[in-house]
Amino acid sequence: MLVIASLFCAPVLVQAQAPSGTAIFKPTATDPETAIKAAAEAAKAAAAVSASNWTPPRTSWGDPDLQGFYLSLSYTPLERPPELAGKPFYTEQEAIAAFRKAVEEDAEVDPRTVHYDWKEYGMDAWQSPVRPNLRTSLIVDPPDGRIPALTPEAQKRRAAARERNPQVSVQTLDNLYTRCITGNQGPPRLPFNHDSESQILQTPGYVVMILQSNNDVRIIPLDGRAHLPQNVGLWLGDSRGRWEGNTLVVETTNFHRERNWRGSTDGMKLIERFTLVDPKTIRYEFTVNDPTTWVRPWSVESVLPRIEPPLYEFACHEQNYGLMNVVKGAQVREAERAARKN
Amino acid sequence: MRNRVLALLAIAAVLCAPVLFAQAPSGTKAFDAKAVDPETAIKAAAEAAKAANAAAAANWTPPRTAWGDPDLHGYWLTATYTPLQRPAELAGKPFYTEEEALAVFKKSVESDAEVDPRTVHYDWKEYGMDAWQSPVRPNRRTSLIFDPENGRLPPLTAEAQKRQADNRAAARARNPQVGVQTLANWYTRCITGNNAGPMTRGGNPGSDSAAGAAGVTAEAQIFQTPGYAVLIMQSNSDARIIPLDGRPHLPSNVRNWLGDSRGRWEGNTLVVETTNFVAPGTNFLGGTSGTKLIERFTLAGPNTLQYQFTLEDPSTWARPWSAETLMPRIDPPLYEFACHEQNYGLMNVVKGAQTREAEAEAKKK
Amino acid sequence: MRHQVIIIAAAAILLALAATPATAQAPAAGLFPGYTPPRTPDGKPNLNGIWQAFVTANWDVEAHPAQPGPHPEIMGAWGATPGGQSIVEGGVIPYKPEALAKKKENLEKRMAVKVTNDPHRYDSGETELQCYRTGVPRANYMPFPFQIFQTPSEILMVYEYKGAVRTIYMDPHREAPTDSWMGWSNGRWEGDTLVIDVTAQNDHTWFDRAGNFHSDALHVVERYTPISPYHMKYEATIEDPNVFTRPWKISFPLYRRVEENVQLVEFNCVPFVEELMYSPLGLYRPPSR
Repeated sequence: MLVIASLFCAPVLVQAQAPSGTAIFKPTATDPETAIKAAAEAAKAAAAVSASNWTPPRTSWGDPDLQGFYLSLSYTPLERPPELAGKPFYTEQEAIAAFRKAVEEDAEVDPRTVHYDWKEYGMDAWQSPVRPNLRTSLIVDPPDGRIPALTPEAQKRRAAARERNPQVSVQTLDNLYTRCITGNQGPPRLPFNHDSESQILQTPGYVVMILQSNNDVRIIPLDGRAHLPQNVGLWLGDSRGRWEGNTLVVETTNFHRERNWRGSTDGMKLIERFTLVDPKTIRYEFTVNDPTTWVRPWSVESVLPRIEPPLYEFACHEQNYGLMNVVKGAQVREAERAARKN
Repeated sequence: MRNRVLALLAIAAVLCAPVLFAQAPSGTKAFDAKAVDPETAIKAAAEAAKAANAAAAANWTPPRTAWGDPDLHGYWLTATYTPLQRPAELAGKPFYTEEEALAVFKKSVESDAEVDPRTVHYDWKEYGMDAWQSPVRPNRRTSLIFDPENGRLPPLTAEAQKRQADNRAAARARNPQVGVQTLANWYTRCITGNNAGPMTRGGNPGSDSAAGAAGVTAEAQIFQTPGYAVLIMQSNSDARIIPLDGRPHLPSNVRNWLGDSRGRWEGNTLVVETTNFVAPGTNFLGGTSGTKLIERFTLAGPNTLQYQFTLEDPSTWARPWSAETLMPRIDPPLYEFACHEQNYGLMNVVKGAQTREAEAEAKKK
Repeated sequence: MRHQVIIIAAAAILLALAATPATAQAPAAGLFPGYTPPRTPDGKPNLNGIWQAFVTANWDVEAHPAQPGPHPEIMGAWGATPGGQSIVEGGVIPYKPEALAKKKENLEKRMAVKVTNDPHRYDSGETELQCYRTGVPRANYMPFPFQIFQTPSEILMVYEYKGAVRTIYMDPHREAPTDSWMGWSNGRWEGDTLVIDVTAQNDHTWFDRAGNFHSDALHVVERYTPISPYHMKYEATIEDPNVFTRPWKISFPLYRRVEENVQLVEFNCVPFVEELMYSPLGLYRPPSR
């Protein structure tokens, strides 16, 4: 089935492997109704614990212990939908209703268009510890819950990119994930992809984050050393971390010139904040600042629910049939278009 | 910081000979006016030889390094006028008398110092590069080879005869000099120097080139530390590191141009066994890359290093053969020999051969 | 005397242990208990052995990201340049403005191989590409080991890359007779540091593959300081008033190679570059018959 699926490949690629960390496939997890109930209860329990001023345990050398495996999945959209303008929060019932709607849509499969049914592999989000969210958008700043406007310079860049067909060859394919250069977990992480498990590991002076997506690894020194010189650009950026109380604050600069995350440049600066707010939840916040792209910084708040180990390997490049098919397909369509013109 | 010598060498390189030298030899001191005169040189050499023989006769023992090994440190001259093989007319005569040795030496020196204006490329003598302008000495041996007793290479095996005949035929069929990769001369290509493999292949008195007469760039340095000896040849700045700790050779699939050496002490003699050669060098006299080289270094006097070598290659010679020379001590330093970095000679050799080949083709038509 | 040294060394170690925190941590960079290396018979620090640097300075002595190499369509990941941090103190080489322009030109033309009988032929690209000697200090940060042999009168360094050799004259010092590729070295001890004064290098070598260069007025002073049984600190001050606005300094550790029976394995690259160098001149061709 995977072979057939890859022939009909989509721009977002089919992973070749099941996601790790969603435990052994439990039969109850095939049932959206049960999943919705469980998720609602988990959310309630989590809220109760954070309300009780819970503090995280400590590592043997005294830092807050964030170690473990975490997922990044949510049905909450990044930007507030226009119909919810002015409404940053749902009530509890509205939140569950929105969640139910999202889950049911997700579980439903249109036989006319399905590539393959993620559900059969336990890969739908609701088959993991995803939860309902009182927020109506992940963006918390600007207050309207929407990405700020692009600068004129950024608009020009985007127009130029649209001018050409980026899919007809590997090097113009504007998608680092399709090319298996990086995974789809940024940084920063947006909770909309299936391969979103991760691990946090700590040693004195370091935090290491391993993303299942493309097995990207971020090594974050905590000793206050300077960033790399400006001329050294990295695909995952260059991160430096510190503790503010129980929150791990990570500042990342030195992005590779060609990274182009959501249209951004190598001048982008990212600040992420990781706080363990209850035994099963990291509150994840980030602020993005790129004055040559957006007219002002913008910030997101999301959660990373804890999951069970292990993380699977993600050998993306080693079997990247999808890329070859995407590019070949685009070349075929382009040739057909040219033929029709003649 | 170019100097006159390099400029002159550049001119010389343009008038290249098949065997090329890019730099003056080190260690022959500043140009000593006394050394311009063959007669004086011959006298000095005779006396040095006498002193050396006296020391050897007195059963002299070498000084020791701080950790107790015989001390072979220093700089040594590999040049000699003695041929590798005993000339036919000297069959049955392994040794000269002292007077004969001196007479032969005198003849070699005079011939070496003489320059035929019709053929000279440039006069080595002007740069102190004739062998007699260094402490080269007369030798009572009539050949470097002492085993077999007839002073000549042992007979070739049938396999080697065929191999060498095939090589000669192939070389006749084509001109090997028309391309770098067919130029079967590691020295001209600056891959190894003249002292790779055995450190000498003997002199060729009467040769019209100092290179052939006794061997220029004939300096070498021996360095010792606990557990290691190092041989540095001025020719191509080749360096051989010799561990003395009894470790095994590299595996047989790992080959070095200078081979892989292992050393040990037998009394006062440093015995070095070298194998794993990439390809046979000029000093192998027909041996293959499977040749085993055994060298023996013994300090025979304060200014004399006795150097013996044995070549063993059952696919080439019916039996191993051995040669000996005495190397006089010389003064430091050794100059760098950056052969490859300025190998005009190779380019000119090949271009010249291509031109001659083209001319030959044109003549045919 | 030796016993005193041992007692002092032991005390230093005890003090160092007492000073470390109760929880085990790797020593912070640059902080080691005072180390007294073993001595040679003549009482000097014993630097004998096989050493190697593990920096990426041979590609570029300044900080550089990973990048594709030449001919990626053939070489793929083999030919790519690894990323790395600068070994230059302060990060950047202090070029004069016209020299910086020349460095950029070098970088663009680094793959050029123009071998002729023209005395100007050395303006033909990067020297390692053609298997030329590297000069000093580059020989010490090539990705190859080198071996130090130490005697009271001379120290010998033999580099696996090309079997290049340097003699460091300790006693007596000698004057350079002429320019050469590896320069002329005179050395002395300052406490436990070997200080080597290197002059008489020709102007053909580059500091790295990225075009960083010097003139024949180059003057290098090296310092080798043992830090532990397994590594030493290497520093070099580089001075060339023709090219730089002031002297500048590089530093990095040299690590001891400790594998059993470790040895240099010959790297004679001359045969590997003959086609590259002599093909353009039509000299690398099989015979016509």
